[in-house]
Amino acid sequence: MSINALLDEFKGKAATPKQQLAEYKAQGKKVIGVLPYFAPEELVYAAGMVPMGIWGSNTKTISRAKEYCATFYCTIAQLALEMLLDGTMDGLDGIITPTICDTLRPMSQNYRVSMGDKMKVIFLAHPQNRFEDFGLQFCVDQYNHVKADLEEVCGHKIEDAAIQDAIRVYNKSRAARREFVKLASEHCDVITPTLRSAVLKAFFFMEKPAYTAKLEELNAELKKLPVCDWQGTKVVTSGIICDNPKLLEIFEENHIAIAADDVAHESRAFRVDAPEDEKDPVMALAKQFANQDYDVLLYDPKSSENRRADFVVNMVKESGAQGLVLFMQQFCDPEEMEYPYLKKALNDAGIPHIKLGIDQQMRDFGQASTAIQAFADVLELQK
Amino acid sequence: MSDIFTLGIDVGSTASKCIIMRNGEEIVAKSLIDVGAGTSGPQRAIEAVLEDAGMKKEDMAYTLATGYGRTSLMDGIADKQMSELSCHAKGASFLFPNVHTVIDIGGQDVKVLHIDNGAMTNFQMNDKCAAGTGRFLDVMARVLEVKVEDLGRLGAMSKKKVGISSTCTVFAESEVISQLSMGTDKCDIIDGIHRSVAHRVTGLAHRIGVVPDVVMTGGVAQNTGVVKALQEELGCPIKTSPLTQYNGALGAALLAWQAASRRR
Repeated sequence: MSINALLDEFKGKAATPKQQLAEYKAQGKKVIGVLPYFAPEELVYAAGMVPMGIWGSNTKTISRAKEYCATFYCTIAQLALEMLLDGTMDGLDGIITPTICDTLRPMSQNYRVSMGDKMKVIFLAHPQNRFEDFGLQFCVDQYNHVKADLEEVCGHKIEDAAIQDAIRVYNKSRAARREFVKLASEHCDVITPTLRSAVLKAFFFMEKPAYTAKLEELNAELKKLPVCDWQGTKVVTSGIICDNPKLLEIFEENHIAIAADDVAHESRAFRVDAPEDEKDPVMALAKQFANQDYDVLLYDPKSSENRRADFVVNMVKESGAQGLVLFMQQFCDPEEMEYPYLKKALNDAGIPHIKLGIDQQMRDFGQASTAIQAFADVLELQK
Repeated sequence: MSDIFTLGIDVGSTASKCIIMRNGEEIVAKSLIDVGAGTSGPQRAIEAVLEDAGMKKEDMAYTLATGYGRTSLMDGIADKQMSELSCHAKGASFLFPNVHTVIDIGGQDVKVLHIDNGAMTNFQMNDKCAAGTGRFLDVMARVLEVKVEDLGRLGAMSKKKVGISSTCTVFAESEVISQLSMGTDKCDIIDGIHRSVAHRVTGLAHRIGVVPDVVMTGGVAQNTGVVKALQEELGCPIKTSPLTQYNGALGAALLAWQAASRRR
C-alpha cells in the first residue's frame, strides 16, 4: 500500500472506534474497554478478547456523567463515563479501571456503580513502590485478580503460553511505534501532527497484530524517503493527551512539526517493553510496570533530583526541537503539580515553552491559535 | 526610490484598527471602528484609513492582518496574517525602543510579552477567563451605569478603598451590585475594580518576570486608573502612548513593511 493509503486507513480507524466495536461484536469477539493508564492489556489479548482504549472523546459533552462526577475531575475520565452511559460503548463485555491518579481512584467506583450488571468492571490498583520485591508481588497479585476477572468474561483459563505470546505481540507493537515516532520527525513533511496523532491513536482501537503489520509497512515506506529538509520549526509535545485534530491543525498552519513527545497517550505508553525471558509471564508484566519511569503519575523516590524534568529537557535537545508545548489537561493535578519543576528545568536550559490549557470539550481554539502562532515566531529566533 | 506604503489591520474582539505607514517610518493615517471580529468593523476601518490617507487599497505594497479576527481577512484583503503578540511587540518596540516588557490588555484577553532587542522572546496569556480584561471593565461599567471611558476619571476621585474579587467576572459583578446596594460610593467601587484588574494582570506578568521599561498597550491602557493601579502593584513606572489602541495595527504595518522590503 502507498503511504497515503496507509495513512488514510489509520486516520479512519482513529476516528471510528464505535464502528470497530460493532464489527468486533459482529465477528463474535468479546471486547474489553481499557481505561488509562498502564493496564496490562496483554492479559486481554491472551484471553482471546479485543482490548480497546478509552481516553475520552473530542466530540461529546459531559451530561449524564455529571450525576456521578465531581466538577474537578478531568474531562478524559468524565467523558469515558459519558460514553459508557450514553450507549456508545454498550457492546463492551467489560472494562479495566486502573487507579493511578486521584481522579481515577474514585472514578473506578463510579464506573462500577453506574455499570451495575451491564458489564464486568475490573478494578486495578498499581503499587506505589513498584521496584521492591513486595511491590512487584503486589503488582503480580493485582494482575492475577485482573486475569481471574478476565477469565470469567472469556469463559476459559488464560494460559501462561498465551500471555508469553501476548507479550511478544505487544513488544513488537511498541517497537514499531517507537520507530514510527522517530521516522515521523525525519519525515515531518509527510507525517503532519494530525497524521502522527491518528497513527498512534489507531493503536487503541485496532487489533494489535493487524495494527503492527500496517505500521511496519508504513515505517518501511517512510524509510525509503529521503529525510526531509524541514524549513519550519520543531517542538516536543508533553501532557496526558493531545489528539484533537483541530488543535493539531494549528501546528500545521504555523509550520510546527513534532520532533518527539512526552505524552501519556503517545510515547509514554510504549517506552518500556515487558521482558520476554521471565518464567512467570505475569511477573514479566509487573516488571514492565516497575521499569516505567519519568512519568508524572509514577512515584519517584529520587524526585528531589528533578529527574523527570531533566529527561524531558534532554528529549528536546536530542530530538532537535526548538521548544516544548505542554498540553495542560484541565483539572489534572499530577501534571499541574509537576509543571513548576518542568518549567524551571526548561528555563534553566534556555528552552522556550508554552503551556496550553486544554480539555476535551473545547470546540473553539482561537486563543490557542494565537498562542501557537506567537510561539512559532519565538521558535524562529531559536533556529 | 518611490515610497513604500503598508497597511496594518488589527481586528480585535471589540474594535477594528488600521494604520498606514510610509517606508516603515512614518504613520500616514489611522482609523478605529468600535466593533471587531465578525462585524462590518474591519471593512469600515479599512475604508476609513484609506480615505484619511487619500489612497486606494492598490497603493498598499503589503497588507498584514492581526488580532482575533485576523484570518477573516486572508480572503483577498491581507497578504499575510500574524498573531497580535508579535505585532504588539513590534509596535511597542517602535514607540519605546528600550521596552523589555509589554502588557497588552485587550477586549477579551491579557498578554504579557518579554522583549529582547526588539524581538519577542517569551510571553504569557490569560487562561479562558474574562477577569482582568477589557470585557471585565465593560461589564462593570454597565452595572455602575457609567461610560467605560469615564472609569479612569471617576476612579481617581475615590476616597476609600473597597475590595473587589479578582477571581471571576460573574462573581465580581455580584460584588459590585452588592456594594451598590449597600450605598458604597461609585468612585470607590471603580477604584477597587481597577486594583482588581491590576492584581490579576500582575500575577500573569510575574510568571515571565517584569523587566523595565514596561509598556502598556491595548484599549485598557487608556484607563488611567488601571495604569496607576498596575504601577503600584508592579512597583515600577509604566509607559503608555496616545497610540496605545493602535499598537497592534502599528506593529502589523511595520511587519508589513519588512515583508514588502524583502519582496523587493
